[in-house]
Amino acid sequence: MTRPAVDRPSWLTPRSRWGLIVLAAIAFSLWQARVFEPNRFNVGGIPQLLRFVQASVQPDLSLDFLQLTLDAAIVTFAYAVCGTFFSIVFGCVGGILASEVWWVSVLPRHATRPIWLGIRATLAVPRAIHELIWGLFFVNLFGLDPLVAIVAIAVPYGAIVAKVFSEILDETPRQPLIALLNSGVAPFTAFLYTLLPQAFLDLLSYTFYRFECSVRSAAVLGIIGAGGLGYQILLSLQSLRYEQLWTLFYALFLLNGAIDFFSAWLRRRLGSPSRLDLNLRKQARSRGSGGSLPDAHPARQPPERDRWLVAVGLGGLLLLPFSFWYVGADFSKLWSARTLELLGDVAQTAFPPNLDQSQWQLGMVAVQTVAMSILAIAIAGCGGILLSFPAAHTFFLPGGLFTPAQPSWRDRVLAWTGVLGTRAALLIARAVPAPIWALVALFVLFPGILPGAIALALHNMGILGRLMAESNENLDPRPLVALKAQGTPAALVFLYGVLPMTLTRSIAYILYRWEVCLRETVIVGLVGAGGLGRLLTEQLSSFDYRRVVVTLGWFVILTFGVDWVSGAMRRSLR
Amino acid sequence: MKRVVLSTLLSLLLPLAACTPDSSSSSNEDAATQPLVTSAIPDQDPEKLQRLYSKLADYLETELGVPVEYKPVTDYAAAVTAFRVGDLDMVWFGGLTGVQARLQVPGAEAIAQRDIDADFHSVFIANTNSGLTPIDDIAQLATLKGRSLTFGSESSTSGRLMPQYFLEQADVNLDDFKGEVGFSQSHDATIQLVEAGTYEVGALNEQVWNSRVQEGAVDLDQVQVIWRTPAYYDYHWVVNPDVKERYGEEFVGRVQAALMALDPSVPEEKEILDLFGANQFIETENSNYSQIEDIGRAIGKIQ
Repeated sequence: MTRPAVDRPSWLTPRSRWGLIVLAAIAFSLWQARVFEPNRFNVGGIPQLLRFVQASVQPDLSLDFLQLTLDAAIVTFAYAVCGTFFSIVFGCVGGILASEVWWVSVLPRHATRPIWLGIRATLAVPRAIHELIWGLFFVNLFGLDPLVAIVAIAVPYGAIVAKVFSEILDETPRQPLIALLNSGVAPFTAFLYTLLPQAFLDLLSYTFYRFECSVRSAAVLGIIGAGGLGYQILLSLQSLRYEQLWTLFYALFLLNGAIDFFSAWLRRRLGSPSRLDLNLRKQARSRGSGGSLPDAHPARQPPERDRWLVAVGLGGLLLLPFSFWYVGADFSKLWSARTLELLGDVAQTAFPPNLDQSQWQLGMVAVQTVAMSILAIAIAGCGGILLSFPAAHTFFLPGGLFTPAQPSWRDRVLAWTGVLGTRAALLIARAVPAPIWALVALFVLFPGILPGAIALALHNMGILGRLMAESNENLDPRPLVALKAQGTPAALVFLYGVLPMTLTRSIAYILYRWEVCLRETVIVGLVGAGGLGRLLTEQLSSFDYRRVVVTLGWFVILTFGVDWVSGAMRRSLR
Repeated sequence: MKRVVLSTLLSLLLPLAACTPDSSSSSNEDAATQPLVTSAIPDQDPEKLQRLYSKLADYLETELGVPVEYKPVTDYAAAVTAFRVGDLDMVWFGGLTGVQARLQVPGAEAIAQRDIDADFHSVFIANTNSGLTPIDDIAQLATLKGRSLTFGSESSTSGRLMPQYFLEQADVNLDDFKGEVGFSQSHDATIQLVEAGTYEVGALNEQVWNSRVQEGAVDLDQVQVIWRTPAYYDYHWVVNPDVKERYGEEFVGRVQAALMALDPSVPEEKEILDLFGANQFIETENSNYSQIEDIGRAIGKIQ
């Protein structure tokens, strides 16, 4: 009665191997953050924390300050428009040049790989450096011109857009392109008529997402002498005027919320449900029907002659010249002789890099930075996944997947409060800049990696939660409705229906955001956690540019590493 | 239809990209109409200073007869850099940042400071639960070894440079503290973080401490002063030598006179002085800051 021996598949699949690595990395980061030591929590700071929280219900609503906030919000908005515009321009060019498919179409196959990899590697350099550092650098070239803020957003974001655009292009089905190329059409023309139209909606959706990011970024860039919410936040933070700070946060809240709402509306009209599609094989995706539950949005395709869309599109285009006019940057500085001269000055003070310090020691410092970023993204990811379910409008609202067929009046109120409350919480989490979360975390936690990680986690959770909620709303409803119709309990529908479908994409978002957390460790230096960020601020304030170059080099190396790891993990998830 | 809309949007984008606005300041402006650009580093109550800057600009404009502009900056390093590249003509710097700025701009001069800046102090404060008691001799700073400490901003003279200098005088290095020394980024944050107990000890500008105590914003049961540093020179106005070319050789002297002429008995002028926390501005000169420069070099803040 012995059964024939069957080779069971090894449990050590690429997926489970990555799972173990992730767990080990998180455990190591927790250990680095000394979480296992006693007394990490500072009870004495609770009054300070409460004072901050209390100010949230008593924002400064004096007429003067509201006026100032409104002006600042317009400035921030205008900066974001200009910054996004240039990052999209850079991104389009860079995206094509960084895509594998472009080089495959232009050159014989064996020659393509080094070029393509070289361009991708180059793009990691601007991405590795935080906007704030770019800002300080450009003050060296342009002085206190508004141009600084625009370029400081456009350079790193252009590189990010290029990376994402190239991935979108590479994942777009190639058959039409190959057909055209084989019949002798020039590569650029072939691109223009095949890949670009196919990928256009994804590119446009991503542009909206980038715009939201630019607003948040313009809100951190306060160093540039031109006003804006970031500038006002920095001023009020300097003297800890919490009431003023909250007024400014609410302005960001409204600005972000409005953009969020508006871009969702526009994308629905255009028939592109998700703003950021990562990790999807396009063949497996059914655009158009991938919406929410049946009948939730009957008109998925844009109706013929959508006048609203035209009006809004034209209005949006008018915003561009308005923003450029309102910001009033001196673009001639981009090519003036003076700029070149100043660039020479900076190069002279920054080169050759000072390699006196022990690179081994710097490596140890870099480990702290990585640990903080891992911890931050792990917390943000878990929190984001948890909150993304109550924040999605397709689950608990009347007619949703987990609502009874005939919800009572009370159920409805509860459901709406739940959805709107979660969304507001996510919006607040991302409207408050990470350095402010850091100060607040530092009231109740002793200095170290942990408060920094929590600050970055809170801010990024707000962003991730929103992205994930959207991907929840865009799930293919058919298997879920089928499960529900069979009488499957809600918990099981969730575990066996919803979770498997959303988890892959959520993890892709998390990996993508990890790089951002790494870069942002620079701006939460006040938590006294050391790391490369602390080193960098010290070097910048000493004008020790020769060492700054070395520290930035470490950031570039770390970004390469993060890029490689998250790329490998995403491939194993497919 | 969708395709039409999108392609229209795209084709509209192209000409717009080309139509960027004219530069607001052209380089061939008449020297007389070119404004004197002033600024101040963000240190104490910068939100008041920066949001009410127009008062000082108006005053200088009438006194000097040239247009005066105020450009806000919220970062120490950015203020120094902007001074170096010539975007700021006259800046209210701290002790260290003033020296950094002058070293990067040959010929720049320190011209005026507040009455209190010639005799400036920092205070070390401690959370009462730390059990630390006031000390009266610099050597006793050694009792801070093994405690946690926060400074203010990295570039702050009163919140970092001088406190670190006095600690080193007492043979206390930054490595001797528990964990890493913090940089709270502002004097007010230092008070709050020590009051909360996150750090046991903090070092900050005495003027800010005094004004917060007067406002009743500090819980003196939670935090107390344990040491007042000896006096040193701090904040001052620094002028870029370019202004002489632009407005004449005697211009620097006129600015200096205008600042010193601010009269606390005239209500409008008192308001300006109050913004700076000054009773009046007095004369100063580069050599007053040679101690700061030496310390800055020793600590590595000046390369």
